[in-house]
Parts: sequence; structure tokens; C-alpha cells
Amino acid sequence: MPNRKTNLSSWALGTALVAGLIVLPHLLSFSQREIAVLLIINVLLVASYRLMTLTGEWSLGHVVIMGVGAYASALFSKSLGVPVPLSMLLGAGTAAGLAAILSFPLFRMKGFYFLIGSFAAGEVIRLIWKYFTNPFGGAKGLKLIPSFPDINLGFADISFFEPENYYYLCLVVVGLSLFILYRIEASRIGLTFHAIHWQDKLAEAVSVDTFRYRTLAFVLASFFAGLSGTLYAHYIGTVNPTRFDVEEMVYVLIWAIVGGTATFCGPILGVVVLTIINEIILRALGLDTVRPMIYGGILIASVLFLPDGLESLGPKLKRLFAGKRPSGQLEETT
Amino acid sequence: MYRKKLDHKISRRKFLATTTTTGAVLAVGASGFSNITHAADKTVKIGFLAPLTGPVSAWGKPGLDGCQIWAEHVNAAGGVKVGDDNYKIEFVAYDNEYDPGKARTGAAKLIKEDDVKFIMMLGGDTWPGVQPLAEKEGMLVSTLLPSDLTPDTKTLIAPCEVHPIYNVTGVEWLAENQPDAKRVVICAQDDALGTPSVATYLAAFEAAGMELVEEPLFFDPATTDFAPVMTKLLASKPDVLCLDTCYADYVHPLCEQAFQQDFKGTIISCTADFYPKIIDKTSKEFMEGFIFQFPDFDDPALNDERVNFANPNEFYAEYAQRYGAAEWSAVSWEYASIMDIWSDAAAAAGSVEPADVLKAMKASGLVKHAFGDAGWWGEELFGIDNAVVGNWPVVVIEDGKAVIKEYRSIPDWWAKHKDLMIKHFTALGQMWNQRA
Repeated sequence: MPNRKTNLSSWALGTALVAGLIVLPHLLSFSQREIAVLLIINVLLVASYRLMTLTGEWSLGHVVIMGVGAYASALFSKSLGVPVPLSMLLGAGTAAGLAAILSFPLFRMKGFYFLIGSFAAGEVIRLIWKYFTNPFGGAKGLKLIPSFPDINLGFADISFFEPENYYYLCLVVVGLSLFILYRIEASRIGLTFHAIHWQDKLAEAVSVDTFRYRTLAFVLASFFAGLSGTLYAHYIGTVNPTRFDVEEMVYVLIWAIVGGTATFCGPILGVVVLTIINEIILRALGLDTVRPMIYGGILIASVLFLPDGLESLGPKLKRLFAGKRPSGQLEETT
Repeated sequence: MYRKKLDHKISRRKFLATTTTTGAVLAVGASGFSNITHAADKTVKIGFLAPLTGPVSAWGKPGLDGCQIWAEHVNAAGGVKVGDDNYKIEFVAYDNEYDPGKARTGAAKLIKEDDVKFIMMLGGDTWPGVQPLAEKEGMLVSTLLPSDLTPDTKTLIAPCEVHPIYNVTGVEWLAENQPDAKRVVICAQDDALGTPSVATYLAAFEAAGMELVEEPLFFDPATTDFAPVMTKLLASKPDVLCLDTCYADYVHPLCEQAFQQDFKGTIISCTADFYPKIIDKTSKEFMEGFIFQFPDFDDPALNDERVNFANPNEFYAEYAQRYGAAEWSAVSWEYASIMDIWSDAAAAAGSVEPADVLKAMKASGLVKHAFGDAGWWGEELFGIDNAVVGNWPVVVIEDGKAVIKEYRSIPDWWAKHKDLMIKHFTALGQMWNQRA
């Protein structure tokens, strides 16, 4: 009976969330819709990063992998004339393929060494983009990347240059991706990722091929990171090596740390809350020039007071109320 | 306790006296404001879309500060006269963090929500993010980096800075005044700003008969340790160390390293933003003779009658008083000088609408540029004549202070050496038709 109640409330919450996301653009100003598009792309980026961390390895190259997807999709569509929807899939596939190749040297390392190794690999990729002006455009990168094609429904033209329409496209793509990521985590494969994280020696002892599973997590995470890169490239219309540098990676880490990585929703919560604070609230308050300082302050405060991330707030509040209820009941009975 | 203090301090009589005085002040203030409102009864909003935070903010934030001073002066004088109306100028700023995605969001906000009539940008990496929206909306946009220009960028203008072309004037002056300085090394951050500047310096050095003793050294923008960079540069014992168009965050440590590694030659650079801080980190003697392109506006040479920037010395004094002289940078005056050009064009057009202003700007062919009358140019290098080019100052640090040594003509240099410029631009893939 309680399970049914929980299921019902989960469904109600889920339905309300979906409904909220559908009406959201109509409640936002034009520029806030632009922010919503970039936010939803970042949600996919950070959610894919969490999949990577499930096996216990934290990478510093995830944003570069996003860039691989962006560059590949841009080149497929711009230089080879591949239709944009197909080039997006190819771009994501390229990111996954590169991750598969990189996993051979990288997964010879673990922990801190893997972190540094992933940073080095990412820098090599970025330097390749810079060095080879043809085809990557050098330091200036690629611009005038074809946008997602308009759709003519007969009674209406849907232009994906408009943030509202692109938002809905991203919502579908990211929603589907999150569903897949969630199902992976909840599957036997996901449980194995967790097992490798917490007890890798024990997992090996029961015949789990930890290298293959780590590679699988890396490849899957890279596919979705690459997909987020393709969504970015075909919306903004330009990519350059600086956009995917380590500074951007630091933001992904901050989102994950502030949100928490214990649950699927943690990093998503982090990116949503911090983006709203940084891009909407602080800008609206006219605090443009001090935003990095405030952002840093929030990070320090969250590490000090919410070491398990924003995701731990819910259970804490639940415990708080659950702890009070019995005493209330006691008062009633007496 | 606090309440007690209040009770003790504020008597009824005092309260009435204070209220009356405040009321009187507000009434006078309100009447004053109503006068100002009457003098400039309409407001035109101008967008400022540049990096205000992050490593490139040195070329954004000081420009916004300069614009606020400019707007206060113009508004106090009754605003900009456009047709029969006086327009008060209001700047709406958006920090794009030098990110194309955020630049797009900022442009959307400025155009769709703030209804700006003109947007000033630093340009570079951020322009491609703005370009589709600006073109769709027909918004007039200015950049400080003409390398953003292509034949397609019809509404993009570079009315102040022909970066990096004006760097040729510094090299030309150096060659004439230090004829023995022949051996040159150059370094730059490997990005959209560094590469075209290197191409320009290479052309200028070749035109001046100077020899590049090492291949240009491109370092990654993420570099924080400049000791090995400088060691490599100084290994060939150059006479001239060229710092290209490095950001302030690189120029400072590079100079520190050159000082620590005992470089004795001449340093030439596009900018020397916040140079008093470099002097603090090195020495006045070391920085003596440092050549760059951006004057302090308290320089008496700016009172030359050819200079069109209004009251440069007063502008500088106001800036230094508000933000400190050490905060003066290359862009402190540039965006404000673009506003001078925009105001002239709006007045001539009798309209603040972007298309009308652009038409008026280009109608006469001549522009009242900060450093003297200049013309539209750029077809051969950028594929479109949307850059303003004329004279540019050569600035040298003497006794710890930037001094304008001379104004030199960029068109004259171009007429003699344009083939060299095109050659080096082509070699580094910087011609408009080579950019991806």
C-alpha cells in the first residue's frame, strides 16, 4: 500500500515536472529562453558526466569530449554536406569512438593518475584543433555552422533559430537521453559500475572485467557528452578550442559537486540551481562584474554546509519532518 | 536598547525639521530632474556586449567605465540632438564572458527586450555567436577587431580600432629611431587575437628591414608559467622583444620574466594595459623605451587640433579620479570614441534607427575618428570597407609615463607595403576568405 502511494506521488511529480517544462518557455522572456536552451544542453552534459563517475573515475576531459561531438558534427554538416540531424548522431558517435580509443591508455591509470591523464588527453585534442587550421579552423574555430533545418508542417513553419523551438527540440533529445542514462544506471550494467567504484578488486574476483565496464561507462558518457556538443554547435553556430577548455570543465565539476553525485538528480539539480543564480538572479540584480566571486562563495558554502550536495537537502528535510511528527502525535494523544 | 537610542535621539522638533528639509531637497531635486528630462526628453539605449569578467575583461570593463563618463557628460549637456529631439544616452551592459553562447543570449536580451539601437562589442570569439541574430534583426554592431569583418557582415563596423593593422606604426617608428635594433623575436597567445597580430608584426618587421631570429612562439592561452616562454625567446639574444597583442594577464608576467632574465633590449607591444603595475613589478629603468599603441589621455599631444576626441585630458582626469590612473587601459576611451562617431551619424541621419545611422556614417566617406579624420577601408584585407583607418599614435614609456611620440598614417604604410601584409595574412590563414 505505501509503495503504491509512493508510485502515485512519483508519477504526479513527474507529470507536473514534464508539464512545467513544456509551458516553461511561455513564462520566460526571450533571453531567458536562450538561457534555458543552454541550460538544458548542460543538463545532458553533467548527467553524462555522472555516468562516467559511477565507476569511480573523475575525468578532466569531459568538456573536450563534448567539443569532439560539436566539431565532428559541424564538420560533417558543413564540409561534407551531411544533413544536420544525421551529422549530430555521427558527431556523438565520433565522441564515443574517440573515447573507446582513449580508454586503452587512460584505463591503465586509476584515481588521481586517471584525472591527470584525462586532462592531458583533452589538451592534446584541443591543441590538435588549434594547430590544424584545416579542417578545424585553428584558434578561431569553426563558424557559420549549419543550423538544425526548419520544419514546414504546411500550416506552420518551425524555425529552430528561435530559442523556443530549439528548446523543445533539446527537451525531446535530452529527455530521451536522460531516460536512457537512467535506465542504464538502474540496470545490471549500472549496478556493476557501482560495484567497480566501491569494490573493484572484489568485482574482479567474481569475474567482472573492470576494464571493459570502465570503457563502457566512458564510451556511453562520451556519446551523450558529444550529443550535447552537437546541440550546442548547431544552435550557436560556432565552436572554438577555448569554449572547451579546462575552465569550462571546472564549471561541470562545480555543478556536480554542488548538486551532489550520489543520485541521478544531484548534478542536474546543481546545474539548474547554479545557472539560475548565475545567469538570471545575479544578472537581474546588476551584479554582473562580481558574479565569479559570488559563484565561488556559493561553492565554498556548499562544501562547508552541504558536503553531500543539494541532493541531500531533500532527505534532510524529510528526516526533519519525520522526526517532528511523532512528537506531534504524542501531543495529540496526550 | 537600539529603540531606546532612537527614542533618545529623535525629538518631534528634530523629526519635523529633518522631514521638511528632506522634502525641500527632494522637491528641488525633482524640479532639477524634470528640467534635465525636459532638455533630453527621449532616451536611446545603447548595448554594451563585452567581457566584464574573466581573462579578457581588461578589454571590456574599462570601456564600460569610460562610456559611463561619456554618457554623463553628453547627458549633462542636453543629450544628443537627433532631428528635433534631444536624446539622453543610456548604456545597457551584458557580460558575455568572452563566450559566443553568452554573447548570443546577451544580444537577444539587448535587441528583443531592451530595444537598443546600437551594440558595441569587443568582437573576436564572441561575434560569430551574435552574427545570425544581428543580421536577422538588422542591428548595427561595432567591433574592436576588424578581423571579424567579411563581405557578409554588412551591419558590423570597426569604427575605432583597426586592430592589428595600426601596430605597423610602432614598428616603423622603432626602425627609424633605433636603426641598430634588427634582431626580433615575437610571442603571442594562440588565439583569434594573437594570430592576425603576428601576421601584421611580421609584415611590419619585413618592411622595416628587421630580421625575425626565431619562428613566432605561440603559447596556449591557459599558460600561467611564462619563465620557459621567455627563456626560449631570449635564447637567441634578440634586440627587440615583441609581445604582439597579448592580454594584460600575459603582458605583465612576460615583462616580469624579461626583467628577471635580464633582457636589455627594446620591448614592443600592442598594449601595455595597467603599465604602472608592470613598473611596480619590474623597474622604471627596465620599462624605459617600451613601445606600444595606446596613450594615456592626459597626454598634451592629444590636444592637437586634428584630434576629434572631445576634452581628452578632462576625460582622463575623471576616469583616474573614479577608478584610479593604474586602471586606465587601451579600451577606456575606445568605446566612448565609437559613441562620438555614432552620435555624429545619428545627428546627421536625424534618426537613431540602425540602418539610418549606418547609412549616414558611410555617406560622406569621412569619419571623425578620435585621432583625426579617417576613411572607410578594408576591402582588400577583410572583403568589406567597414573599418575606419587614419592616423594612430606611437606611444613610448619615458620616466615611468606613457608619452605620445608621434602620430603616423596607417594608409601611407598600407600604400607602400600592402603586398607584405597580404602575404603574411595569407601565410597565417587570416585573409577573410581563409577563415573557416
